[in-house]
Amino acid sequence: MTTSIIRFSHATFGFPGVVALEDITLDISEGEFIGVIGPNGSGKTTLCRAILGLMPPFSGSLKIFDCACEELHCHHRARIGYLPQKESLDRNFPITVLEAVMMGRYGALGLFKRPSAEDRDIAMHALESVSMHDHWKGALGHLSGGQQQRVFIARALAQQPQVLLLDEPTTGIDITTQYSVLDLVQRLHRDMGLTVLLVTHDINMIRGRVDRLVLLKTRLYAAGPPEEVLRPEILREVYGKDLVITEKDLIIVEDYHHHHH
Amino acid sequence: MIEMLSYDFMQRSLAAAMLVGAVCSAIGVFVVLRGLAFVGAGTAHAAFAGVALAYLMGWPPLAVAIVFGLATVWITGLMEEQGRMKLDVSIGILYTATMALAILFLGLMKTYNAEVYGYLFGSVLSVTAEELRIIAVLGFCVVGALLIFSKELYFIAFDQEMAEASGVPARRIFYLLLTLVAVTVVVSLKTVGAILVFAMILIPPSTAYQLTHSLAQMTTLSVVIGTLCAAGGVLLSSAWDLPSGPAIVLLATAVFFLSVLFSPKRLKRFAT
Repeated sequence: MTTSIIRFSHATFGFPGVVALEDITLDISEGEFIGVIGPNGSGKTTLCRAILGLMPPFSGSLKIFDCACEELHCHHRARIGYLPQKESLDRNFPITVLEAVMMGRYGALGLFKRPSAEDRDIAMHALESVSMHDHWKGALGHLSGGQQQRVFIARALAQQPQVLLLDEPTTGIDITTQYSVLDLVQRLHRDMGLTVLLVTHDINMIRGRVDRLVLLKTRLYAAGPPEEVLRPEILREVYGKDLVITEKDLIIVEDYHHHHH
Repeated sequence: MIEMLSYDFMQRSLAAAMLVGAVCSAIGVFVVLRGLAFVGAGTAHAAFAGVALAYLMGWPPLAVAIVFGLATVWITGLMEEQGRMKLDVSIGILYTATMALAILFLGLMKTYNAEVYGYLFGSVLSVTAEELRIIAVLGFCVVGALLIFSKELYFIAFDQEMAEASGVPARRIFYLLLTLVAVTVVVSLKTVGAILVFAMILIPPSTAYQLTHSLAQMTTLSVVIGTLCAAGGVLLSSAWDLPSGPAIVLLATAVFFLSVLFSPKRLKRFAT
């Protein structure tokens, strides 16, 4: 029997005057690999922010590690490793790879404490597990997009998280690197027993890798194994005429211009 | 030049300038990286409005300047959080409004008061022992807070939301940074003046930014550059009888342009 570590129960989230996610009921068990899909503006990032405890529900409840969302304390948040969308990061920020990864330790350390040699070891180990340890001294801004994503995954791992939350980790990097980043995430899920939530618009890329897909469009349209969720009638309802399903069963959503299949 | 250093006033002004140079360039690193450059300018003008009001009413100038500075940074912080308006617009409004207040207060004074203008343009050579003590105490408080909270400050400068998501009390740290900016501006008013304090917060870290890719190195370099430029500016101003504020800022600007020319980042761009 697996234990549920993230539990949405009729939860509604949003900003003043805007409902971004409505009536979400979803249980995520420890060790699951979940893909979160849905059109632009469907609430995928809101789901991440909610899990991070950055926005309490308007109504309903969200419990993470059996802790209600409004009560999320520092040590709970530190157990969720988060990779935000790439555009939100300043590529020219003057920071070395190791300095960036060390930031993953800050939440758990708390105020007033300096990182110790042990924290540094944890950060180096995290870099090793994404195969970026040779670059530890280098400038983050000098790395390619895919390498930067690896470093930020290492930053999340340095938190020694139970949950890995990845918001569009493959957007804006070339196709070969996209596969290697996903291979890495899959390996971390398998080897470290991490619960992974991966938000993406690229359905084909993850359908063979995840245990369950969660399909969002403000509401939760479907949640289950990929073959159950990726049925044409469900997808058509969510994506409308933007959806093309090819003979080879590739699912193409046309409003994404950075889509190169 | 050596002979000049034996004068009390000269030692005081050198010490004051170096302290201000160090404090401004240390906090400047976080201001530049967090994208708050314009906030420094707005705060400086608000603080000057406070000084003008203090002279008009006969109140202690630094205390009123701190109140005006803090009010400005906190309002700015709230405006950024609300996100209703672009930050540059809201600061622009506060900036010009406080400047208008300053001009209004100056206009209400029946006589010309040279001391007030000292706060506008800086007059480091006239720093008194009492003022030096205030600068030292406030400066140590600011640098102490920066040291204690450096890892959180770096984190929110890099990505405030990510910092908050990993359990750092990011919002409180952001307001701490704003508060420290206000205190730093007020500390620097007498030395470099309201118009130029902004330059001391901006130029040394931007110079350091040209020269390194490491946060730790950027901070160290910034403080070294800020302190040396402040000292150099005072020496130049006394040797050639130049106003001290502009001497410090123009020296720092010259160093900045040199760093741009010889920046490893720029050279690298040419190479590739």
